[in-house]
Amino acid sequence: MMWMDVENITLTINDSSVSGREGMTILEVAKENGIDIPTLCYIPELSPTGACRICVVEVEGSRALVAACHTPIAQGMVIRTHSPKVLETRKTIVELLMASHCGFCMICEKANICDLRKIAADLEVGLPRFETEKRFYQIEDVSPYVQRDMSKCVLCWKCIRACREIAKKNVYGTAYRGFDAKVVVDCDQPLNKEVCRDCGICINYCPTGALTRPKKLGEEKKGKPLVISS
Amino acid sequence: MPEVKKKTKEHESVLVLLQEAQEKFGYIPEDFMANVARSLDISLSEVFGVATFYSFLTCKPLGRNVIRVCKSLPCCLKDAQMIIESVESELRIKPGETTTDGKFSLTLTNCVGACDKAPAMMINDDTYTDLTPGKISQILKKCK
Repeated sequence: MMWMDVENITLTINDSSVSGREGMTILEVAKENGIDIPTLCYIPELSPTGACRICVVEVEGSRALVAACHTPIAQGMVIRTHSPKVLETRKTIVELLMASHCGFCMICEKANICDLRKIAADLEVGLPRFETEKRFYQIEDVSPYVQRDMSKCVLCWKCIRACREIAKKNVYGTAYRGFDAKVVVDCDQPLNKEVCRDCGICINYCPTGALTRPKKLGEEKKGKPLVISS
Repeated sequence: MPEVKKKTKEHESVLVLLQEAQEKFGYIPEDFMANVARSLDISLSEVFGVATFYSFLTCKPLGRNVIRVCKSLPCCLKDAQMIIESVESELRIKPGETTTDGKFSLTLTNCVGACDKAPAMMINDDTYTDLTPGKISQILKKCK
């Protein structure tokens, strides 16, 4: 259909002129044009939340940096996605996330597929400068389908949205406020729901090691035994 | 960009129902939250989220007199910490706790709108302002 292809909004990203369609976000236009903006909480098919703030970009004329994932494009916008100011801010945001994250990557099962760790490495965030309180919760391993370690949660709300909008199960919700904010099940009970059977969508979306599949010891013993000769 | 989900009428009535329960029972029982969730066809975790977000709603039973000391910046600058400490020593409880006789509960709250007369606190629906540690014991004695 012709009208679908009409690109009616022109804007400038990083000094080059690009065009997009009405209703697109800055992040979507950047992606289409091969510009990589890191995000933690963005799921393309779901409603944006702007929770993690890692996708902040500089928009000329705007008082503050804006989150690319939920800011719609407008005619003549001038955007910088990797200016020194943006990179500095982005790095600080990740540092702050890491500061309250429990951060035991060495013993975390999902360390090698962790989005937070990847983004932190990409932005060259070393040890956080900030000494903040950390949240520690008991690991919830009651459910045979999903294991939750909320100490590792960065509150991106991906699990809530995936469960609500993709799986249509609506198991999770947010509770408490400020530093105590937490993703909860029912009245903050450990997750143990039969609807989680054959699902596990939230595990795939979780950007950290907060949600994992419960370990089956038998799985680890598959394959050749490791023989170390002296 | 996917459509942002609008909050429905159901979501709007949650708070009203929870406030009613708070007034009636003094706290919001779990069964009540479950009933609200069922009747509005939303998940229990969403109702619990609303109930735990507001500091004037509570999920566990409190004492007859609920003392809410303001912890916002203006009161903090006017030494609200002293007030908190003197209430603590007077009642021998920490914020979030209830006395064993069930008479008092102590919680901290955000701004109660009495910044011009800081430090301030509320006991049930009454506001007490321009507090000093000396005033605390008198005020507490008046409470039944």
